[in-house]
Amino acid sequence: MNDLSYEEIEVGHKESFTVTVTEEMMDKFLAITGDVNPLHNDEDYARSEGHPGRVVYGMLSASLLSTLAGVYLPGKRSLIHEVKIKFAKPVYIGDTLTVEGTVEEKHDVYSLLMLKATIRNQSGDKVCRAKMQVGVS
Amino acid sequence: MTHEEVLNIVRGIFRDVFDDDDLIVEDSTNSSDIEDWDSLEHIALVVSMEKEFDLKFDLKEVNKLENVGQMVDLIISKLA
Repeated sequence: MNDLSYEEIEVGHKESFTVTVTEEMMDKFLAITGDVNPLHNDEDYARSEGHPGRVVYGMLSASLLSTLAGVYLPGKRSLIHEVKIKFAKPVYIGDTLTVEGTVEEKHDVYSLLMLKATIRNQSGDKVCRAKMQVGVS
Repeated sequence: MTHEEVLNIVRGIFRDVFDDDDLIVEDSTNSSDIEDWDSLEHIALVVSMEKEFDLKFDLKEVNKLENVGQMVDLIISKLA
């Protein structure tokens, strides 16, 4: 886990990590949220909706932004204030996601970072685009 | 800029941040007058004003402010 101070971080600073989405992750997300929607849980239903398989919960992908701020950028001193996210493309079980965050702005008065974050799949397609406001304690 | 001119710009920022075009904002307005004006929105207000007026506050200055009128005066003093 990174432990970056506000002063150490500069505009343009980039961090990234990779995660492969598994059935187990889907099961755990279901257990936590109780979101039984068939698009995420029923293979046949998902195919009838034109998907190649069960669709990964968007909020499961979004949860990786917590890891981005809390482990990588800034890491330990992270305090997430705000996240605005767009789900650009569906994610499927077995997809390998690369989460990347870049510091776009710094605001000294409150030690704030404005991050631009993207999540891409193994084909390089952007599946999520997000803006994050993160305080550095 | 005059006090009234800055106040009008500040009114616009308040209406954007709180997403309320009918929001009444006067010199005497403070956080107890606007339900959603919590610490998070306060940060959003300060950051928006820094961007709008292209200036930088420091924490001590901002923490002393008691109402919108004082914020306008602070902005005017920094623009001078």
